[in-house]
Amino acid sequence: MNERLQKCVEPGVSVIVGSVDAAGNPACCRAVGLRTTNDLATVTVFVPMATSHETIANVAATRRLAVVTTHPISHCATQLKGTVETTRPAREDEEAFIDQHFASFGGVLNAIGYPPRLTKSVVQWPAFALEMRVEEIYEQSPGPKAGTRLR
Amino acid sequence: MTMPLRPSDLARCFQGVTPSLIVTVDGRGMPNITYVSQVYYVDEQHVALSCQFFNKTRRNLDENPRAAVEMYDPLTMQAYRLRLTFIRSEKKGPLFDTMSARIEAIASATGMKGIFRLIAADVFDVRSVEKVEGFLNDEQPEVEADAPTLTGYRSEVRGLQWVSERIARACDLESLLEAALQSLEEYFQFSHTSVLLYDESSARLTTLASRGYGKRGIGAEVPIGQGLIGSAARDRQVLRFSSLDADLAYGRAIRREAAGDQTCEDIPLPGLPDARSVLVIPLLLSDRLVGVLSAESRDPMRFGEWHEAYLQIIGNQIAFAIDRMVERASAEHEPPSPAGARPVVSPASRAKTNEAPVAPGARTRTLTYYRKDDAIFVDGEYLIRNIPARILWKLLAESKRTGRTEFTNREVRLDESLGLPPVKDNFESRLILLRHRLQEKCPDLQIVSTGRGRFALQTDASIEMIER
Repeated sequence: MNERLQKCVEPGVSVIVGSVDAAGNPACCRAVGLRTTNDLATVTVFVPMATSHETIANVAATRRLAVVTTHPISHCATQLKGTVETTRPAREDEEAFIDQHFASFGGVLNAIGYPPRLTKSVVQWPAFALEMRVEEIYEQSPGPKAGTRLR
Repeated sequence: MTMPLRPSDLARCFQGVTPSLIVTVDGRGMPNITYVSQVYYVDEQHVALSCQFFNKTRRNLDENPRAAVEMYDPLTMQAYRLRLTFIRSEKKGPLFDTMSARIEAIASATGMKGIFRLIAADVFDVRSVEKVEGFLNDEQPEVEADAPTLTGYRSEVRGLQWVSERIARACDLESLLEAALQSLEEYFQFSHTSVLLYDESSARLTTLASRGYGKRGIGAEVPIGQGLIGSAARDRQVLRFSSLDADLAYGRAIRREAAGDQTCEDIPLPGLPDARSVLVIPLLLSDRLVGVLSAESRDPMRFGEWHEAYLQIIGNQIAFAIDRMVERASAEHEPPSPAGARPVVSPASRAKTNEAPVAPGARTRTLTYYRKDDAIFVDGEYLIRNIPARILWKLLAESKRTGRTEFTNREVRLDESLGLPPVKDNFESRLILLRHRLQEKCPDLQIVSTGRGRFALQTDASIEMIER
């Protein structure tokens, strides 16, 4: 994974997901973690069970998912699009990763003025894990290169 | 489980403090998700987004008009979801003007003028608004209610009445502006405010009163169209920023840093380097610009919609009062100066006689008038320029030539060589500016009011005049 793509999984990024139902109605959800073990060929996105009913239903219907990771300070943003191959409850051994990811995100938000009590109040567990095959990657940082396909 | 709501229930989310998410879908059924810095409330059935670039979101809306938005309450982080349908792009009209003014002000303040601009205001039907249940755990922070209580409203009405009375009682422009800013602090706790008056002849706004910034900043100028204040003035639009984004804060910081390297003629605009919210209200009479009232705060949520509404009412009263005073000053028939020939004298000696000379051994202040720059420097330090500089030079020259120290507004404003506009010459405001600048930079030389429409030059020092 090159330096640019490495940025989308660096600590402190925010992760958001967009899905669509069979009738073309979109839905959004804030995720609580993203990881890859194969240079972004596939990613596992974690979404809280409490707030992802619509996303899970949409993925069951169309399997299509868009994921954006953004660093709140540098605004470096990347959009991954692909097909969800597996939806499952996150395992207990993944909870520590989610905790760590969300703590890093909270730390970055704290640096730009959001008190920790706010991010700590956001529910992150239990979560679903969406395993997505990444088919397209786009630059989404503000500027003239926004929308450029990176892979 | 979700709870149906109205867009107006999400007032704090619409302030643009926390970015919102928007998902759209393209023609092949692939979703696209991105952040938007602000969703604009239009009415209970409509919201709007700014279209600054013809990006993927905008292209998707032409292929599938449905969109989903998630917004966050900046005080609690509670999430809300809106289901929207794109209905039209507006390229003119009040909504476009409001959104455009905001974007252009940020562009101007960050040096991105001409690059960031509004192409269209994209308007959406709101199909539903839902609170995202389960988004927060049970340990939610308690926050104060957003809108004032009924008691609060009553109290704010009383505040308005009180501010209004103070404005109405002011007998001159200087006391009017001081009373307005003081009462805004005392009653509304707006502790960093300033008033700038518009000079049509130079197309500039000049800071004439400020509060919360010390004595600095009086005389600072803003060209029309520049920065937040200049943009609000040019567009005759109220600008309210609830959370200045990082780019704007950065741009302001750079400008302040750069100010140190500029020529000594530039007086830094009074302002908080770390302001997080700003409210700029053009002072208007019909469509005529009188000036600008500006308030800022380090609290990102300091100014709500109701503050904007109240300050607009107060702004209207200030505009009316300024105009009334300018009119009165122009129309007043003032008697010729009874003073006759008197030299510039020290206040101490004036107590005994108006004709006593400057005390031997008094300090010498050298005032230099640079004709090319139309500016006066005192002991090598910038004092003032343009019309107020010409006024001071005329007074000093007259005093030196004839020994007079007392003058009338009328005789000065009739001097065509000063270049005052024939109508609405803002003479009072120029004299206030001159007085403040002397107090700050040359306290040995003062302009003191000696009655309605009259003033005197007073000095403790020996004044040396050089013209270049």
